[in-house]
Amino acid sequence: MDPDGGRPVIRDVIAWFRDSDHWHGPSGVPTLLGQHTLLTLVSLLIAAAVGLPLALWLGHRGRGGTFAVNLSNIGRAIPIVAMLSLLSLGVFGTEALGPFGRSGLATLVTLALFALPPIVTNTYTGVAEVDRDMVEAARGMGMGELDVLRRVELPLAMPLIVAGIRLAVVQVWATATIAALVAGPGLGRIIVHGYDSFQTAEVVAGSLIVAGVALLLELALALVQKLMDPLPPGSR
Amino acid sequence: MHTRLVRRTLIALLAVPLMFTAGCGGSDKVVIVGQKFTEADIMTQLYKAVLDDAGYSTSVKNLGARDIYLAPLSKGDVTISADYLSSMTEALNRKANGDDAAKVASSDPDATLKELNKLAAKDGLTALEPAKAQDANAFAVTKKFAEDNHLTTLSDLGELGQPVKLGANSDCPERADCQKGLEDVYGIKISGFEPTGFGSQATKDDLVKGVTQLGSVGTTDATLGKLGLVILEDDKSVQNAENLVPIVNSDWLKDNEKAKKALDKLSAALTTEDLTTLIGKVDLDREKAADVAKAYLKDKGLI
Repeated sequence: MDPDGGRPVIRDVIAWFRDSDHWHGPSGVPTLLGQHTLLTLVSLLIAAAVGLPLALWLGHRGRGGTFAVNLSNIGRAIPIVAMLSLLSLGVFGTEALGPFGRSGLATLVTLALFALPPIVTNTYTGVAEVDRDMVEAARGMGMGELDVLRRVELPLAMPLIVAGIRLAVVQVWATATIAALVAGPGLGRIIVHGYDSFQTAEVVAGSLIVAGVALLLELALALVQKLMDPLPPGSR
Repeated sequence: MHTRLVRRTLIALLAVPLMFTAGCGGSDKVVIVGQKFTEADIMTQLYKAVLDDAGYSTSVKNLGARDIYLAPLSKGDVTISADYLSSMTEALNRKANGDDAAKVASSDPDATLKELNKLAAKDGLTALEPAKAQDANAFAVTKKFAEDNHLTTLSDLGELGQPVKLGANSDCPERADCQKGLEDVYGIKISGFEPTGFGSQATKDDLVKGVTQLGSVGTTDATLGKLGLVILEDDKSVQNAENLVPIVNSDWLKDNEKAKKALDKLSAALTTEDLTTLIGKVDLDREKAADVAKAYLKDKGLI
């Protein structure tokens, strides 16, 4: 953590947090936090809008899922930094896109692709793995296909679907720092700025903020996941 | 089949550490390092060529950033680094006095060299004679913008009074040799800022596209002419002196006066224009740094 040896970075990090200059203005933590949240939220919404319906439908049919899961897994294999550079150099360009800043479209698409694998995998698995007896029982009660999906499969798959979203949220939140690499907005700016000006403490402080919020998100969504389970605890 | 494969693997496994010890250990072997860009490649190849010519057995290593090669250079595993006057001074200053240490480098090469050698002595390093050539921070505009407004210096831009958008490194706004200096010393009105980096493709693209009007670039950037960009002169000396300077392990230097002479001769000859031309040959014409370096030295009668 401390390449200079001897000098405690911790003290500098605390000093950084206490400096009021870092807490207001266009490059203050609240502003950057807002930009970061927006970036994370919108790219997740894009990923969910594409991934959820597709995975639900495939899961319900119980076919074609392997293909979809593997296809979305490509997203995990591609180095995310390379993807962002490629997209911002090529197809999408570096034009500013409203609150998403410079290379906004490229950043959103990159992050959405990154969020896709856990959402698709978990949703497909969750729906496909619902007890076939229950599905048959539902059909026997005269439910249509849409009702089976909506009233039986979806609720039972919910904990796994939320787990996928939770994974995606935390990953995208932490990864959205790369926006700053293409001069975009968000908390990554603190880290890049610290690196550019040789302030180790600032890099650590920026990382701590990102990691801290990621933990909070993880805990909050774990709670949501528990609340979403229609079955009584211990019955799974 | 199998034995051959095993033998090959063993040889390969042995070869890696051997190469390392060969490169770093031997006392008569000179190891030259630089950072990871064209200019550093050319500088290390220039050093290698003049030292080879002086009878040394040399190798060039790419260890990347200064943070990585500083320790081996102090220990003597690496002999010489191709470095920059003020950047190296401030790196050693930060190492000795912490990240918030008061700056000691300046636009005056002689004063900066003195500070550098004071700091370098603590790490067992010596800065040799800096080259005339320097890769300092500079600010570029499009040729059209300069001609339309009759600009040749940064003072001209200040007098013009037209607000400009600036593209530079993310720490530029608070730096005295960047946005602060442009505003306070030159009176240039900065209306916006893009943290696209120092001399990066994005910074230059923004200038060409008109997203920004002023961009931070290096004085040896060979692509400026081709892109239709010109540097405005830093006529009030806001920029630190960034002359190319060989940093040498002091213990090794004691017994190698011959090497010092060879490197000093090179530094006395090399100008910023020379270096820019050499970089252009590598970056634009895709020639090899080693060939470009040798051709230059032969041309100048240095080898």
